[in-house]
Amino acid sequence: MNKKTGNCPNFSMRQKTASVLVNKVIDKINKENLKKSNLIWLELTGCSGNIISLLDGADPNFKDLISQMVNFIYNNSLMAAEGEAAIRRLFSVADDDYILAVEGAVTTKDNGIYNIIGNWRGKPVTAYEAIKQLGEKASYVIAVGTCASDGGISAAKPNPAECVGIQSILNKKVIKLPGCPCNPDWFMGTLAYIMLCGEPELDDKARPLMFYSTLIHDICPRRPYFEKGIFASKLGEKTCMFKLGCRGPVTRVDCPITKWNHRVNWPIGDDSPCIGCAQFGFPDKMKPFISYNTTREESK
Amino acid sequence: MDEYKIVIKMFNNQKSKINDTIACLYISSKYHPPKNLIKHLGKKILNIKLLQIIQNTTPNFPMFTQAELTTYNGKNGNPAYIAINGVVYDVTNEATWAAATHFGLSAGKDLTNAFASCHAGQPILNKLKIVGKMADE
Repeated sequence: MNKKTGNCPNFSMRQKTASVLVNKVIDKINKENLKKSNLIWLELTGCSGNIISLLDGADPNFKDLISQMVNFIYNNSLMAAEGEAAIRRLFSVADDDYILAVEGAVTTKDNGIYNIIGNWRGKPVTAYEAIKQLGEKASYVIAVGTCASDGGISAAKPNPAECVGIQSILNKKVIKLPGCPCNPDWFMGTLAYIMLCGEPELDDKARPLMFYSTLIHDICPRRPYFEKGIFASKLGEKTCMFKLGCRGPVTRVDCPITKWNHRVNWPIGDDSPCIGCAQFGFPDKMKPFISYNTTREESK
Repeated sequence: MDEYKIVIKMFNNQKSKINDTIACLYISSKYHPPKNLIKHLGKKILNIKLLQIIQNTTPNFPMFTQAELTTYNGKNGNPAYIAINGVVYDVTNEATWAAATHFGLSAGKDLTNAFASCHAGQPILNKLKIVGKMADE
């Protein structure tokens, strides 16, 4: 399968989308035709999965991003500063031009008191306050991952902290990059496009079409098995996992092409059904993730 | 106004959105399908697939009670059926209904309200196989 898809111009060109854009940005910056953007990466109610995923990016990689594309102002997981010094740095660019990347949902219950991201001048700063203040002033806001885009796991039932996606509390457009986690290509390609041309073309859910235009089902290497009604009955089988509950037919993103971990593999390639992590409503509306007692017989 | 005249009027007003409604009105009708309906639609309808569905449809579909429908839940080898606007559809091999579930919904149920809230105006029912009607209870 991989050899076949490797020869497909659709696949090979899509794999280069992010790197072409990032290299163009770096080239322009080196020629002084473009300035590095200020980038704030704010983590709200999440698991740090998206920043870890970003660190694992390859062609383009994180080193390109931090050293040649942007002034990386703030990220709580990566920066050397801590305590109030870190928060001071976070708010230091509040009056400048900056792009805001956000991972994690926003807890809204009791004015957001259940997620304190730091202290500023002796007072606790809630994630809710931080996103309101920094989000409204940012030149662009990018929701990185499913929690920031739509609430995601943080907002799953019973959602005790009343988490929501960041669009719910901001009065400006949020570009959404759902995925648990967000693939490094999706973020870096989107960021590079913004720096070059401004807002990319988005679908009706504010997802960039260059990464979110196609259903996984439509570019799945196991699609021929679906058409022929050859279905896996348990994990580990190399056929279509539709009867096990695969959410590829309702999930719109280019996972089969970009893949993960330096493009080594992706869930279906490792015999695990797509669980729809990049679909709005994940995880509640994508459950059950695996089913064994379903229809076995072909009824066509 | 006769039933078919209502359909024709709606069709002329909103051709792109009306396909599902025509199918539902026709299939769920308690009466024998008026011959004039096909005659009129045959002149006006652009959606060949829908026309074929209507022409090939007989009024003698199996009738399902709510209790009977619940057995077609896609589990343990059973087919997966759903009911929308009185019509029973087979979603056993519909790609978006993997493992007989769809965005938190399960097969074997009347999903008229859920369909209306998510897919109103979308001509997506045409591609589903019709397997029966819901009985009045």
